[in-house]
Amino acid sequence: MKRREFVKKAATLTAGSLVMPYLLPSGRLFAKTNAPLAEHVVYVIFGGGLRQQDSILQRYLADSQDFAAEGNLLHNMLEGTPPTSKIAYGIGEGGTQPIPKILSKTIQKQGTIFSEMRAISGGHYGGLNSLITGSGVAGQGLKVRPINPTVFEYARRFGGFKATDTWFIGNSIGNSLPLLNSSNHPDFGLPYGANFFAPNITFGSDGYATLQNAKIYHPQEELEPMYKMKNFLDNSFNIKKGDMPGIRNTDDERTKIKEFISNTFVRQAAGQLPMPPVGGGDGATIGYAAEVLRVFKPKLLVVNMSGIDGCHSNFTGYIQAMHRADHALGFLWNYIETQIPEMSGKTIMCFVPECGRNKDHNPIMDANDWYGYDHGDANSLRVFGGMVGPNVPANLMVGNEANPIGKVTDFNLTIAEILGYKSEVQGAGLIDSQAKSLFERI
Amino acid sequence: MPIFKIAFFSLAVLFFVQCKKEKLITNYEVVETPSFGDNLNKDKDKTNIEFHGILTTNLFQKPSSINELTRTDRVIQSCGDKTLINEVIISNYMNTSFVKLPTRKFMLDSTEKFVTDTYIRFFIRRPTEAEKTWFINFINSSKANPNFRPELVYSSFSASDEYMFY
Repeated sequence: MKRREFVKKAATLTAGSLVMPYLLPSGRLFAKTNAPLAEHVVYVIFGGGLRQQDSILQRYLADSQDFAAEGNLLHNMLEGTPPTSKIAYGIGEGGTQPIPKILSKTIQKQGTIFSEMRAISGGHYGGLNSLITGSGVAGQGLKVRPINPTVFEYARRFGGFKATDTWFIGNSIGNSLPLLNSSNHPDFGLPYGANFFAPNITFGSDGYATLQNAKIYHPQEELEPMYKMKNFLDNSFNIKKGDMPGIRNTDDERTKIKEFISNTFVRQAAGQLPMPPVGGGDGATIGYAAEVLRVFKPKLLVVNMSGIDGCHSNFTGYIQAMHRADHALGFLWNYIETQIPEMSGKTIMCFVPECGRNKDHNPIMDANDWYGYDHGDANSLRVFGGMVGPNVPANLMVGNEANPIGKVTDFNLTIAEILGYKSEVQGAGLIDSQAKSLFERI
Repeated sequence: MPIFKIAFFSLAVLFFVQCKKEKLITNYEVVETPSFGDNLNKDKDKTNIEFHGILTTNLFQKPSSINELTRTDRVIQSCGDKTLINEVIISNYMNTSFVKLPTRKFMLDSTEKFVTDTYIRFFIRRPTEAEKTWFINFINSSKANPNFRPELVYSSFSASDEYMFY
């Protein structure tokens, strides 16, 4: 081979090997940059604005309603004795019956809790954005996709996962939630976005009326020619990336999701969906998330809860929702560990709210004459979070009121470390510059 | 006499540049313009409500109620893959008795007309020669499959990217 030819070919190969990984929407050419700590991540946004004093600090009514009743409402998540008076956080008439505990050993005993972390924003959408993108950008507008790449796009681009490996389960279609499955970033975006369901709509009365009667086409005799014709039409039209209306699954993935939709209506009617014993609201969202986990066994699933946000005008409803969210979280972890063998012992579950709540109450009183709490002040940047699963130190509490450790933006990098592509996420330079993996914070 | 030469020359010039009597134009020519456009200018995406309003009118020959369209819009928003959820909704429409479709016989006997009509119906344009040829060949090669019917062709057009734009 001539020298000139050799140099030309070598340069082409080098350029190709550098560029190719960034062209492929899935599948990676290089070994992961760090050894994965687990095969799957379930990331629970324990959201809606969780006040530190009423949750991890276990002050119940003492620090909110000026009434001497303290205790732990989150008995699946945290160690601590429950309140002994003014029980209104449970179920039944007046909320006087606490929901029975699901986990025999609390998440705190099984994993690591960061008891005093800092949120980026005291608002919902800014907070959700910081959790999903790991970015410190607080000026994110509503009704637009995040400016910076989401945890899903990092997973698909750097982890090489397909669309059905990444899921975002939202509890509604409000607050621009459906836009959080992908960013608008030119180097990432919808080609790397996650599948999204707001199951209360998709599988609620709207979805039932719109989707339940869908035909089940024969995969070879009907679906295959249909996909061939559609793919021909799409190739003729050649849609631009910026014009894509949503994420794209492959033909096989689309068939699987269609089967999932159809089967979910059948299993719903038969009462076979895995729902927490005390369901409704966030519990239903968690139940559908469990169903997605059971069927797809995704590498990354993010699920959002927000029932506790009723605290603006109903403190009693807030403490009940908080107790139910703990119940739903305990159910989900128990379901993963006991009912999904492919994920049991191979999954790390992370949890954190998107923001806290104010230090001082607002003037709105509920039926118990308890004041509501909004969010937006410095106290609403105080949150706690945690993780549990393989390679996570057990029975460890990190940080305290006097010594805050960790930021909510740490979770994106933590997930990257768990799934094995941390340095690539750091190298992209689009996350909060102060963010660290929570494993580094320990 | 130079003056006569100049006059003669001037007359000769005037003779060649003189005005002429206008011809009477009895019919005007028209520049031929295709009445069906192409897909190049479709760069605005339909909203969910526009999409399903047009689609249901196309399939049922009557518009849906605003309540149905709003409900459908919410369901589309609740799913990340819009193409996929549209396909499911379309198959839901196809499962009703009100949908109006050409017969399989028409599709197989008059394939070229069927293809052209389908392009005009869904894309408001005629197919290019390449598109027409591809579809005719595809339909002919699928004759042996008894499940291949106009419903599948209509579903593909309804779920295509081009149908989402105008």
